[in-house]
Order: sequence, then C-alpha cells, then structure tokens
Amino acid sequence: MEKVIEIIELNKTYKNGRGVKDLDLEIYKGDVFGFLGPNGSGKTTAMKIMTGLMKADSGEVKLFGHSIASEYEKAMQRVGCIIETAESYPYLTAYENLKLFSRYYKNIDDSRINEVLELTGIIKFKNEKAKNFSLGMKQRLGISAAILSKPDLIILDEPLNGLDVEGMIEIRKLIKKLAETEQTTFFISSHLIHDVELTCNRIGIIYEGRLLNVDYIQNIQANYASLENYFISEVDKNARL
Amino acid sequence: MQGFRAALTNEIEKMYKKSKMTVILIISVAVIAIGKFASMGMSSFGVGVFNKSTAFPMSVLLVLANTLLPLFTALIATDLFSGEFSHNTMKISMTRPISRFKLFSAKMGAITFFAFANLMSVMLLSIIVGLICNFSSITFTGIIRIVVSYLVTLIPIMVIALVVVFLSNIIKSSTAVFFLSVMLYIISYFMGTFFSQYSSIFITSMLGWHTHWIANEILFAKIIREFLIMLGYGIIFFTAGYYFFDKRDL
Repeated sequence: MEKVIEIIELNKTYKNGRGVKDLDLEIYKGDVFGFLGPNGSGKTTAMKIMTGLMKADSGEVKLFGHSIASEYEKAMQRVGCIIETAESYPYLTAYENLKLFSRYYKNIDDSRINEVLELTGIIKFKNEKAKNFSLGMKQRLGISAAILSKPDLIILDEPLNGLDVEGMIEIRKLIKKLAETEQTTFFISSHLIHDVELTCNRIGIIYEGRLLNVDYIQNIQANYASLENYFISEVDKNARL
Repeated sequence: MQGFRAALTNEIEKMYKKSKMTVILIISVAVIAIGKFASMGMSSFGVGVFNKSTAFPMSVLLVLANTLLPLFTALIATDLFSGEFSHNTMKISMTRPISRFKLFSAKMGAITFFAFANLMSVMLLSIIVGLICNFSSITFTGIIRIVVSYLVTLIPIMVIALVVVFLSNIIKSSTAVFFLSVMLYIISYFMGTFFSQYSSIFITSMLGWHTHWIANEILFAKIIREFLIMLGYGIIFFTAGYYFFDKRDL
C-alpha cells in the first residue's frame, strides 16, 4: 500500500515543555486516520510541522515520499489542509478566495469552484465577503479550499469546529464519500471522541506529546466496545508506565 | 514558475481588492492637483514656478520621492508581511505548494509593482498637467529625462521597502513596524543632511539620485557608486528579510 505520510522520530518542544516527542507514524493511501488527544497534547503541532508551518527540532516528515523540509512544493502538491483555524481573506468573497487558491494548481476552473461550494453547502453565499461569514460558514469555506484541488491527502485540524449538527453530518458524509470513491487519504485531528469514532477507520492516540498507540476502529470496538474506553485504557497504561 | 506566478498574481489582486492601494493612488494624484493649484496661485503673484512643462513633473517627483512614496511603500510592505502574520492569513499562502522563497519573492514583486504603478501614474498625470499649462516648451529630451528620473527612483524606494520588510519579519506588531520605519526614515534623512560627508551611507540621501541621471554632465562614476551601495543594501536586507521569513513558525 502506498505510504502517504511518514513521520520519523519527530520532536518539537516549546519553551513551556509541551510539544511532540519521538513521534513515529505511517499513514497509508485510503486511511481516514483520526488523531485523537486532549487539548495541548501536540495534535496541532504535529500537523503544523507536517504542512511546513513550523520546523521540527529533529526528525522528518515525508508526504508521498517527498520531504517537507527539502521538497516542500512536491510534498504539498497533492495536499489540502485546514490547520488550527479555517482562514480566508475577509475582504474577498467566497468565490474570490477560492479563485485565488486555485491559481496554485492546474486544471481548476469556475465549475470546480462552484462544485466545492455546492458540496459544502455555501453556494448561495459565494458572492458574499468572508468577513460577513459566521464561524460555521468560514469552516465550510475552509473545507472547500482544502478539497478544491482534488487532493490525494487532506489534513484537517478539528474540521467540525463551529459547525451545526447538519453541517457536521454533511462534512462527515463528504469525508466518507471522498475516501470511498476517490481513495482520498484523510488525517483528521480532534478532541471529540464521538466524531472521530464515526468518521475514521484508523485511530492514533496522542497524549502529552507522545503517540500512545495506533489501531483500526474495528479492533478497538471489538476489544474495548467504544473508542472512549480505548482512550481511557491507553492513557491509564501510559500514566502507570 | 507556476507557483511564483500564481503568488504574484494573488498578491497584486489582494492589494487591489483592499481599498488601501486605491486610496494611496488617489492621494498621490491629489498631491499633483494640490501642487499645481499652489503653483498657479504663486504665479498669480508673479512668481514663475513652472515656466517649462517639464519642470512640474520633476518637482512632483522631488516631493513624492522624499515623502509620500516611501511612506506608502512602507504601508504596503507592512501590510503584506506583518499585517498578514497578525491577521493569521499568511498561513493561507504558506500551506499551498509554493516554497517560502518564491512566496517571499512574489510579495516583493507585488511591492515593486505597487511602487512602479504609483510612480508611473504620478509621472503621466504630472506630464499631462505640465503640458496643459505650457505645451510650447515640451521637448523630446525633456520627456526622456522625466521618464528616466521616475524609473530610476524605483531603486532607492525598493531598498527602503526591503528594510521595512526586514523589520516586518522580526517585529510581530505591524503598527510597531510602521512607526519604527517612519522613525528610522526621519533619523536617516536628518543624519544624511547634517552629516553630509557621510551621506552616501544613508539610503535616504539617494532618493534624489535621479538628478545625476539628467545632469548636463552625467557623472557615471557617481551613479555607479550609488547604484552599488543600493545594490549592497538591497542584497543584505533581502537576504536578512528572507532568512527571518523562512525561519518563522506560525
């Protein structure tokens, strides 16, 4: 199976001591990987390093075999992402924002822009400036931007933040659809156990910067009945060690 | 190249969509109108300020190059760097398939485009105004001198922009960057004026270097020396600005 993400002995420590410690992880094509952990556990830090927003103290990240540090453009060519918050230019409309993003990729025309706006449910707001959007609408615009180029890997940091129930259901369906029909690989971080359990097929637990364990959702549900039980078990095990 | 072209187009479009660029161009053009009315007022008292049609554009350039143009360029440069960092929109470009070097270069390209557009629009308008007031004195050589003067003024302006960009990448607050840039400009300007023997090391003293290009006797040695000093400053501040831009964690 094609290795989409390779994280090799990744370390990053902030002045307050938090960060990521000795993170080793491999994600394969077609995975919908859930990166589960509490606030401050290192999820966003890992994702920022993966997308080049931050430099690691040591270690390496490769996307599709290309190092983020030395082959950034090749690594990010097939990647779409939302990191921390879904940002857009407030003085531009939804359409104009996506038009700007589309220039970095080949073969993205107006029909594709309209298609992603339709998929994320904000087509009727396409000519409104992003500064007038609610948090949920900004999140949907961010997801539109992430999927615009039909990337093979989509990295989403807390993608359901700010969405209403309907929005959460729609985005979960969209993720499943893209994973099934286009074999898109997803790397999704969240602190919401229930959302991760419903969306992902492979789960990694991160706690205090360390990756405790990685397993498939079927195994977790078979052995622990729920992801919550699995999470508590892994954290307890780690605390005792 | 696709990434650089995309980034450059995006940066220019963003500048245009924000009202700042339009307001700046309007203010620059308004300066010409104010200058012309002032000169007409003075000439009604018998003071012949702009006897030749080419004198007005050169006077406008002298005022613009030392005051408004560095100020506006600093504003745009601060906006494109510090402004985007503080509004958290820098990560939009940084998570696209473009290297930080190309992104940095594209932003510098956009600032250059802005400064060039500002200079050219002021030049064209001031030539037209100069011609309207005194068409008979127009010469081909005069027009060439005006065009050359405006074009070469771009170089010291871009060096000042590079200094502002460098400051934008080491200081987090865009307000602090802007005020520090203004302060440094004023200090440099007065140092260059009061310590004239050392004026060649202050970039502000080169804002009037266009006069060397249009003098009756062109001093090539002086032009080359000043060009090399500006080139040196440009290389230093481009490299330093890019170094901190590349190192920055979001």
